[in-house]
Amino acid sequence: MPIFAAGELVTVSIKAEPLFTIGPFTFTNSMVGALLASALLLLMGWYFTRRSTLVPSRLQSLLEFPIEWMAGIVETSGGRMWRGFVTLVLTFFLMILVANWIGLLPGVGTVGEVHHAEGGAELVPFVRPASADLNFTLGLALIAFVAFVSWGIRINGVRGYLSEFLGEPRYMAPLMAPIHVISELSRLISLSMRLFGNVFAGEVLLATMLALVPLAVPTVFIGLELIFGFVQALVFALLAMTYITLAIAEHAHHDEDSSPHVAQPAPAETHPSAPEAA
Amino acid sequence: MDSNLAAGLAMGLGAIGPGIGLGIAVSKAMEALGRNPEASGAIFVPYVLGIALAEAVAIYALVVSLLLIFVK
Repeated sequence: MPIFAAGELVTVSIKAEPLFTIGPFTFTNSMVGALLASALLLLMGWYFTRRSTLVPSRLQSLLEFPIEWMAGIVETSGGRMWRGFVTLVLTFFLMILVANWIGLLPGVGTVGEVHHAEGGAELVPFVRPASADLNFTLGLALIAFVAFVSWGIRINGVRGYLSEFLGEPRYMAPLMAPIHVISELSRLISLSMRLFGNVFAGEVLLATMLALVPLAVPTVFIGLELIFGFVQALVFALLAMTYITLAIAEHAHHDEDSSPHVAQPAPAETHPSAPEAA
Repeated sequence: MDSNLAAGLAMGLGAIGPGIGLGIAVSKAMEALGRNPEASGAIFVPYVLGIALAEAVAIYALVVSLLLIFVK
């Protein structure tokens, strides 16, 4: 559905457009974006395993920088078991970052096939940034959900995990259990909706600016979207990390009974050698 | 027409609260950073998480208005 009918072909639709179908499987343009992001990351991994040296070259240190930086953050605020989930958090971060930034490349969202539907022409781009599709973000959020639930069960046991839902004074359980279940499920929704809403709104913003002032002005907003794409990738990864850390920290709550129930990921434990995050 | 108006209202009204909240969060973080610049590493993660949670409310408003515009 085009939102800018004023002679502009560049539109953003809320759902990914199908490009072609193979049997029962429909291939959409956001899948192209996701595959491109995966291919880019795989290339990066291939480069790492083949060409990496102890003294990094310029390209290698460029690729190492986000990994080291993110791993440093997870190390300082991920609690004592950070090694167990640092790879997952890193994967979230890199995948979302690349998927977000693919949407800012020239030609993405503007090069495509023109469909002549009723009420004018409509551009179906070949590539759509994967995180502007709710399926992608919901899939990532489901992975994060499975991760933090399984960490909670692994550390606390099924009994310990389920008893978290019942709350502390047991007579309040009928009231607290539904609230806890809803709050767990709302994490799934807020994780996926936040990423989707931000990236999709960014796409709409860019298309609007392109339609209003085609020259020079969209550059500013592309710079803005660079920052937003980075921040959203960081936020998703950090929230996934925090949920996992909380699921683990509930264990400590039962053991020592000292830490508060809603323990923050312990910024007090930060080593003086914290990464230069600012 | 009606749903476009509703979408604008939902987004505009829904952005008031998160806007104020984000302003408070950022101002406090900057204040803390000004007092103790070495703590930037320790401040950063809780700061980003707090901002993300405050922003989520605005994102809900955005999703509602997008639904109002696109889903008919």
